[in-house]
Amino acid sequence: MKKWMGLALSCFMVLSILAACSKNNDNNAASSGNSSPAKESSSPKAENGKPVEITFWGDWGGEGQKQFETMVDAFNKSQDKIRVKYVLQQDMITKFLTAATSGGSPDIMFWDRWRTDLYAPKNVLHPINEYMDRDGINKGDYYDEALKELSHDGKLYGLPLTVDARALFYNKKMFAAANLQPPTTWEELATDAKALTKWNGNKLDVAGFSLGDAGLFNMYLQQAGGRMMNAANDATDFNNEKGISVLNLWDRMLNQDKVYKIGFEQGLGEGTDAFVTGKLAMLYTGPWMLSTYKKFGQDLDFGVVPPPAGPNGDKGSVMGGFGLVIAEGSKHKDEAWEFEKWWLANKDNVLLWSKMSLNIPGFKPALDDPFFKDDPSWKPFLDTLEFAKIRPQHPGYSVMEGDGLVPNLQLFLEGKQDAATTLKKAQEQGDRLLKDNAEAK
Amino acid sequence: MLRSRKLNGHQARMAYLFISPTILLFAVFTVIPVFMAFYLSFTNYDVLSRMDWIGLANYRKLINDDLLWQTFRNVLYYTVIFVPLNILTSLLVALLLNKARMGVKVFRTLNYLPTLTSAVAAATVWLWILHPEFGLLNGFLGYFGITGPAWLSQTDTAMASVIMVTLWQAIGSNMVIYLAGLQGVPDYLYESAKLDGANALQRFRFITWPQLRPTTFLVSTMSIIGALQLFDQAFVLTQGGPANATKTPVYLIYQQGFNQLQMGYASSQAFVLALAILIFSLVNMKLSKAEESIV
Repeated sequence: MKKWMGLALSCFMVLSILAACSKNNDNNAASSGNSSPAKESSSPKAENGKPVEITFWGDWGGEGQKQFETMVDAFNKSQDKIRVKYVLQQDMITKFLTAATSGGSPDIMFWDRWRTDLYAPKNVLHPINEYMDRDGINKGDYYDEALKELSHDGKLYGLPLTVDARALFYNKKMFAAANLQPPTTWEELATDAKALTKWNGNKLDVAGFSLGDAGLFNMYLQQAGGRMMNAANDATDFNNEKGISVLNLWDRMLNQDKVYKIGFEQGLGEGTDAFVTGKLAMLYTGPWMLSTYKKFGQDLDFGVVPPPAGPNGDKGSVMGGFGLVIAEGSKHKDEAWEFEKWWLANKDNVLLWSKMSLNIPGFKPALDDPFFKDDPSWKPFLDTLEFAKIRPQHPGYSVMEGDGLVPNLQLFLEGKQDAATTLKKAQEQGDRLLKDNAEAK
Repeated sequence: MLRSRKLNGHQARMAYLFISPTILLFAVFTVIPVFMAFYLSFTNYDVLSRMDWIGLANYRKLINDDLLWQTFRNVLYYTVIFVPLNILTSLLVALLLNKARMGVKVFRTLNYLPTLTSAVAAATVWLWILHPEFGLLNGFLGYFGITGPAWLSQTDTAMASVIMVTLWQAIGSNMVIYLAGLQGVPDYLYESAKLDGANALQRFRFITWPQLRPTTFLVSTMSIIGALQLFDQAFVLTQGGPANATKTPVYLIYQQGFNQLQMGYASSQAFVLALAILIFSLVNMKLSKAEESIV
């Protein structure tokens, strides 16, 4: 009797698991095959009197989530045809990979712009050119470089939400104590950094300038008058005298003037940030650090200037930032566009978002507002954005930089490789990585 | 005789029945995906738009992928240092804590604690300890007039630092396994050896070590697999740098598959890694078989 019960029980368990599994499979199968018009028509349209619900994905939690939700609420209150819902996806891109083709696609997404070149050719993003023409949105209102980064093959895939670029942060107290002016050229940068550095025997007390991130090579190369990729956009273009001049500057500052020590800032969090604790006099960072540094008030008296110009007076910085894109898998693209247009092509709404989140918007007319005009901390960034360039538009660019170029630069900074070898090896490895990651059809 | 066989048959049936849920889950979530990945490694699958058969092209591409081979050299180096050290230290700690003394449970707990902390949180703390200027370790070395290196930012010390941190975290669980093994060694073996005049070292060499053979096999196999799949701690500590010195195959596979959308190629890389793990495990099996148990 007992045995029989045991048998029955286990059978039941096995069957229930089987059932659960097959159920899931069925669901997946049903949803993966759904470009089906049946499903589309079954969803409620605005004409029925019911509002259309659309989903907005983003990977910003915490403060960012609150800011997004404020915008969503404001939009939902402004009309009664569309209801937007913000969904936080911590691992948004990975989630989108499966969702894009299996029916769970979001309607509109918060988008790190540089990804456009990888995803647009896969037909998972919806071009907005027709909407732009229909609604008469002026492209000239946006930063050209940001629009470029959201474009692929002549099609535009979204509007820029934020723009950013690195500029030079400096500690005003230290500069006053050493009687120095913030640098405007490489030469001044090097001499200032040397004057501000303090060693105590073998211990670095104050670093004059941060050389911790070899990934900023792109920005220095622009200042030297060079560019990362050739005109055909299929190979690297830094193995030349311009690249050498960047490495010479680094070598001079790190190894001769000893204004920095490798690993000096590694692992330091917000409260122990070397710039905050007065252990670092100058560094390159972006407007996203303004709110953090301002929190320290009187304890951290800092200024910002545009990046110093290179030996021939060339200026350079790298523009980055986010946009909003509409997913090709969305069933409510028109409604998603309405939301995007409301947020990003309307000065009041752009300002509502910018003031709340302290981001520089990609919509230029909003920058005339006193919020940006009268606060001097924005000016250096707005000046920098005038000449900042986006990363080269190649699907393999980030891999080339991260796996080909930066490791070689790190060997150079450690003194294990001379400048000529560094650039030669970076070029060889970088070009191969570009080739291997080029086809994105 | 017949009766007992019948009983065995019945027991076997029940046993299969009881393990069937696990086997089923294993099949659905492990075996089937493995076969799918094997198929994908012969395609240009990009998750989003295509899945065409391209034959051996991915595997041909692998041969010239210098970065992949560098990551393999990195984890091989890591494995060769990490696995023996791991066995040695966890066995030593287990031997020390095998005695029934006052307070030994406290020490067992303390040694096990690092295993309980999340890898990422522990790595963050180690980032601090290993900081070149303000870190505990270099501060300590400073008392002896030694200027410590930038542990995680220099190519010579980065991998050694990763080994140190992962070892610190791995010892606890292996110590527990060894403790269980040590408790299973019958006391009469030691007693008779003592009667025959064997000293402590001989007792360890001829009783403890051979008796622990299955335990050592388990510990070494698990740590070989873990070592070749190194990812999270190394990633938090160094992000694969400096100069790719701590970049691992798993990191590369993830990047290739999810960031570059070359899932087919990433699958072929994953199969090379699986093959490497298989080879290492087989070698390990041979080594542990070679040393025949005495009892």
